[in-house]
Amino acid sequence: MSQLNLILKKIIGDGIGRTNKITALVGLSVAIFLLLTSIQLQINYHNLLNNKNNKDSIANFLVINKILTDATLGKTAIEDSIIKDIQQQPFTESVGELTPSKFKASIESNSSRFPFYTDISFESVPKDFIDVQGTNWYWNEQSPYVPIIIPTLFLDFYNFQFSLSQNLPQLTPDIIKMIVFKVSIHLKTGLVSYNAKIVGFSDRISSMIVPQEFMNWGNHQFSTDTTNTVSRLIIRTKDPGSPLLSEYLKKHQLTTDADKTRFSKYRKVVDTVVFIAGITGGLLLVFALLVFTLFIQITIASCKDEITLLIVLGTSPKQLSNFLIKRFFPINIWLVAGAIIAISFLQYFLHEFLKIQHIYIDKMISGYTFGIAGLILLLIWWVNMRSIKRYIYQ
Amino acid sequence: MPIPLRDRLSKKESSVWNNQLIINPEEWIKITAPSGTGKTTLMNMLYSIRTDYDGVIILDGINIKNISVDELAGIRQSKMSVIFQDLRLFSHLTAYENIDLKRVLQTPFYEAEKINEMAEILGISNILSQKAGICSYGEQQRICIIRALVQPFNWLIMDEPFSHLDNNNKALAAKLIAFECKKRKAALIITDLDDDDLFTYSRKLVL
Repeated sequence: MSQLNLILKKIIGDGIGRTNKITALVGLSVAIFLLLTSIQLQINYHNLLNNKNNKDSIANFLVINKILTDATLGKTAIEDSIIKDIQQQPFTESVGELTPSKFKASIESNSSRFPFYTDISFESVPKDFIDVQGTNWYWNEQSPYVPIIIPTLFLDFYNFQFSLSQNLPQLTPDIIKMIVFKVSIHLKTGLVSYNAKIVGFSDRISSMIVPQEFMNWGNHQFSTDTTNTVSRLIIRTKDPGSPLLSEYLKKHQLTTDADKTRFSKYRKVVDTVVFIAGITGGLLLVFALLVFTLFIQITIASCKDEITLLIVLGTSPKQLSNFLIKRFFPINIWLVAGAIIAISFLQYFLHEFLKIQHIYIDKMISGYTFGIAGLILLLIWWVNMRSIKRYIYQ
Repeated sequence: MPIPLRDRLSKKESSVWNNQLIINPEEWIKITAPSGTGKTTLMNMLYSIRTDYDGVIILDGINIKNISVDELAGIRQSKMSVIFQDLRLFSHLTAYENIDLKRVLQTPFYEAEKINEMAEILGISNILSQKAGICSYGEQQRICIIRALVQPFNWLIMDEPFSHLDNNNKALAAKLIAFECKKRKAALIITDLDDDDLFTYSRKLVL
């Protein structure tokens, strides 16, 4: 510190008592901490909705089809014009068509220890809409088996009902994945059989799904029906609770899973909480800036005579401003740095905690939080400078 | 003419009020006047502490009423120094700190040792580390004199600068002031109640 600033420090005291100063600093620390926390929460929430890792588990997928009534019996195909129209809607992120199998098929176990047979049908959906990760979701005529994804519900149904009534063993997901099944396609000329394996369990799609390549090939190979009608669509939407979406579905006599729209209500609660956190953060920032303005005002007011004499002796307002900004501003850097460190720790613990529940957020705090911390510092500097100049030049 | 004193001063003869007064560089001027005739007011006008007057004060071709606070600070740091009648020291700073403040406000004209040297000449070396508030008026006045002399200046304005000093100390202080003014080729304006020959004045004026 220069000799001038050392002397100025002796002349211009704190203006407020030590206890008051500590109380104000604690208040300011809490304000900055809460503000940056709310920003980081907003970013985490945004990432939860939009990050690829979380998209499949959090973003909302709706399977829609026509409402089946006496009037729509046999007319459940969704017209191309409606599909195109849905793609244009603001609530739609993407649309996929569910392709049903047009051939008669059955599935059975190859093992005598696990005698199992049932008629089945398949559906296929575009890859992006599948919520089972890490599988080799592809088929061609040289593939050793047809990969199949079944709804988790089917496994529960088997383990907790079917196996008990049929005296069959209960099966874990890992064991099921090891079993090689036989899928038979029933033709007029006889049976065509393929090996098949269950490669995953879906919480999203309530039918047995096979790769699109197998479905296209099978429908072409074994079906005489060449029409390409679509009866079910899967759409990805950010907000399944959107009134616009439900109105649209109603208007076009479409329906979807009511449970998923119910989930949106929880999302709305989260939305509201995050929104309130943001508003609180904003108000706290205003509060923090007011505290600082008061800090400066009180200090300058309590040393008014000394400052007047300093100016009379030739101290320039610029010298005084520089001294006061050096006096008031650095503490903000420490407070912001402290808040960043605390939030970094919390972020890490939150990351670890949520990971257990298969919800993935970044381990490190966002660059945006750093950026906004920088902007807050800039804002505090500007407000400080403005207050100092305002009172000094008075 | 100061506005609050206009009625009273306009009735009196003066070589300053209601006159054009030109003070040249290196000129040493003594202004004598009894109490209550505006000596301090004049000094405050010259030093730009007061602006409630009719007429203009031109410094280096510029009306000092029109200059900004930052420019004024520049003038007070490097062109114009002052010794106030009412001393104006920071009572909770030491004598040394009071003086040093004026030395370091701008690029120092003197090294810090000069403070000790001047204090030695004026006989206040022993109170330099003492808080100004507990020094006697005589000591405080000498602190003010040294404070005014440690900075660069072309103009030295002194308002009854020796009012608390005995004759011996007056002479010592005047000698030091004269030396520093000559060194800087500075003009000197001093007000007092009585006439004296402490300096070699170019002019003596009656307020």
